[in-house]
Amino acid sequence: MLKPLSRDRWNYQAAAHLFNRAGFGGTPAEIQKLVQLGPERAVAHFVDYEAIPDNTAEPSWAEPEPDRAGKFMAAQRASEEERRKLLRERQQQDRQRTIELRHWWLKRMATGPRPLQEKLTLFWHGHFATSIEKVREAYLMWQQNDIFRRMAMGNWLDMLIEVGKDPAMLVWLDQAQSRKEHPNENFAREVMELFALGEGHYTEKDISEGARALTGWSYDRARQRFVERSFAHDRGDKTIFGKTGNFDGEEFLKLVVDQPHAPVFITGKIWTFFAGEPPSREVNEALASEFRSAGNTFKPVIKTMFAAEEFYAPNLIRNQVKSPVQWLVGSVRMLERELPPPMVCFALTRNLGQDLFAPPNVKGWDGGLSWITTNNLLARYNEAAALVQGDMSGAGGAMLVNNPKGNAMIDRMLQNAPVGRVNPDKLITQAEREDKERLLASLERRLIQDKLKPKQQATLRDFLDSKSDLSDEALRNAIRLVMSTPEYQVC
Amino acid sequence: MKPEITLRTRREFLRSTVLGSALSWTVPSFLANTFSVLQADAADKATQAVTGKDGRILVVLQMAGGNDGLNTVVPYTNDYYLKARPRLGLAKKDVLPICDDIGLTDNLAGFKELHDSGHLSVIQGVGYPNPNRSHFRSTEIWQTACDADRIESSGWLGKYFDNTCSGCDPTVAVNIGRQMPQAFAAKNPKGVSLDSPQNYRFVSGERGKEGGMMEDSYKKLNEPDMENSGGTVEALSGPVKHSGSALDFLERTALDAQLSSDQIRGIANRTENHATYPASQLGNSLKLVAKLIGGGLPTRIFYVSQGGYDTHTNQANTHQRLLKDLGDATKAFIDDIKAQGNLSRVLVMTFSEFGRRVAENASGGTDHGAAAPMFIAGEKVKAGLLGKYPSLAPADLYQGDLKYTVDFRSVYATVLERWLQTKSAPILGKSFPQLEFV
Repeated sequence: MLKPLSRDRWNYQAAAHLFNRAGFGGTPAEIQKLVQLGPERAVAHFVDYEAIPDNTAEPSWAEPEPDRAGKFMAAQRASEEERRKLLRERQQQDRQRTIELRHWWLKRMATGPRPLQEKLTLFWHGHFATSIEKVREAYLMWQQNDIFRRMAMGNWLDMLIEVGKDPAMLVWLDQAQSRKEHPNENFAREVMELFALGEGHYTEKDISEGARALTGWSYDRARQRFVERSFAHDRGDKTIFGKTGNFDGEEFLKLVVDQPHAPVFITGKIWTFFAGEPPSREVNEALASEFRSAGNTFKPVIKTMFAAEEFYAPNLIRNQVKSPVQWLVGSVRMLERELPPPMVCFALTRNLGQDLFAPPNVKGWDGGLSWITTNNLLARYNEAAALVQGDMSGAGGAMLVNNPKGNAMIDRMLQNAPVGRVNPDKLITQAEREDKERLLASLERRLIQDKLKPKQQATLRDFLDSKSDLSDEALRNAIRLVMSTPEYQVC
Repeated sequence: MKPEITLRTRREFLRSTVLGSALSWTVPSFLANTFSVLQADAADKATQAVTGKDGRILVVLQMAGGNDGLNTVVPYTNDYYLKARPRLGLAKKDVLPICDDIGLTDNLAGFKELHDSGHLSVIQGVGYPNPNRSHFRSTEIWQTACDADRIESSGWLGKYFDNTCSGCDPTVAVNIGRQMPQAFAAKNPKGVSLDSPQNYRFVSGERGKEGGMMEDSYKKLNEPDMENSGGTVEALSGPVKHSGSALDFLERTALDAQLSSDQIRGIANRTENHATYPASQLGNSLKLVAKLIGGGLPTRIFYVSQGGYDTHTNQANTHQRLLKDLGDATKAFIDDIKAQGNLSRVLVMTFSEFGRRVAENASGGTDHGAAAPMFIAGEKVKAGLLGKYPSLAPADLYQGDLKYTVDFRSVYATVLERWLQTKSAPILGKSFPQLEFV
């Protein structure tokens, strides 16, 4: 069991750290509230989210498509030309819905009542890294997202079974096409390599036998749901991790989570995502043993993690590169402004290297320092102007489609999008406007949650000194400059 | 005190310190006086100074997803091949023969032309021992050049820079794309990553004096604190002590971004292409690389990639479309570089994390496999087929996959020794036999 952080180390920076990691950051007033709650209640505020009502409406199209089977039949009777037209319309609709879906989720993160639930959903999305690029249907991506949200702190085996039977996953890792005559190993392999055990904890034989156990799990395209096809299931004996039996898919997944390394693997992943660095062996062991004794459920171990002294180690605080999603959502929260329109959000995060619902591969986003390249960093600085000043001139250029003409059109559209901008009166008091030292300190506290370097402070002072009066525009420029620093990119 | 003056003075101080003397900050003089030239004495002698006018260039082209080598370099008369691929197999009419039994798929007409003019070498059956069928693991193995049972964090190109290039300009390595490939990962990471020069800058959003003030402030906020740290050129471009903190890494990247931004945009704006490229992502990437080479960016390694090769279902059209794009874009690039008069300095090398299963699957596609061909293009290559096509006889396959005949690290070793003129063993961990393609 890890020791909780002592009350005397609980301060603005520790509370800001919890807010950044268990959620997407907060305003100085929100952070101050956490400070007053004390560490234990502050952690509970995030983790005991089931008690908080969440009335967010689902996207209007988030239900199985009515009479799909009929439409499929009609399409089969249609001419080649009509079929192509239908396909184009369907693709267009799914592209549009995916953009809506991204916005719907970003909005939950930015303003929803349960920030940790959304952060965990983001973790699971990166963990099970399924992409619309192959799945092709926004409805299926929403359905998977809903699983992650519902089961975010639940039981590990339940989650794996639900994900294994999830239509998006069935399509993504080809399980839908697996038959006893041709077992497809993709899902069985990734369950072991990426989802639950890690390399070195299974053999190639375990994979091929696991794939046999999973045969029969498939996807009913017409009803848009999981189906178990008994004719496709291999009923023969399989030997997995040295045990032999006529295992089916659920039994296979149970064998996986019962492997001795499984709790170490998944709790290590969770710690790494939230803390920003892999846990020490001692911390990992402590988390794994708590996870085991809680019957492989996540909630207790997540609570322990956020309360632990180790989670507030100096080398973890302000040492995590913000993911593009964290950067966008966190900025919107700190700047107390609206989330930009859907197309703009899509372009902003894509520019920075993170498309929700389209991770680069089944390993998910590498994260950490790999978020940062010279051009991604410049893009962050330019996108700061979009958020603060509504100025998209440096923030376009995202390759949204693989077609130069289309991109030029989208760029023009983005330039004219109603992005909105920051209202300095919300962030800066009249007294701060009149005293540059107080103004600088206030910007640091809100945006950096720490001090800038003396030279940077001097630069900002020089900048403010060059203004005869601190107009809203001058203040927005100053905010954008603070966001255009290496310091702003970490949390 | 007028702040403008202070700003200018500070920036001149930084620049003169960075460059070691009070040079004016114009692009041409910066180009002609890169860190490595100024630092030639400090730099490792194993590296030829990169000035942008001479020195050899390697373009690495990643075919991501696992290219089906059998339908790329086709053993079109082989009965085992035709039997294993009743639907996907390419017949004689679909290939451009290179010899009596091996040919390129006809969508690789661009490669065939390069081959016929003596500019393309095809290395057959490239792979590694104990092949791994996971995209990520196998990509990692190719990117780090380590044995399949070892995990390595530095990339092979990163290790090349660590070994040979302690004081190089950040643009010594340029990746066209958003994410740095793992091949560039290093103890002292080098290189910039960009997908379009127009976006590769700080946009002040203000005109005139205001804009200048914003840009000055941005630069100062992102420069190291020279006055306080007593920094030198070495501190900026030399071996950097990594404390491992994210902020250190960000500060270094911020400086690299600032210095390379002016340089790259200057070149891209004033250089023109001399060939017509396909309107694809790969075409655009190679177009930009050609401009940067023509404009004299002091780059040793360029990295471009083309995705989509993971063809598990209905492979035929997708795969051939990708190969057409590959052949046409590479051909245009070589023509462009030739027209510049730079072809003697440029070598293109393709790779993919694995080939695909010999037998097609039930969904009209192919599953993850092992050995596959690599292509090397340039003026000084030995054109034709190299190495041995792996046997397709069922008894010779390993779990349905081709057995490799050439270790990919032999290809890397050859490129390192004969093209980049550096010792390969310290980079690859051991010696590998070299091939005769360059």
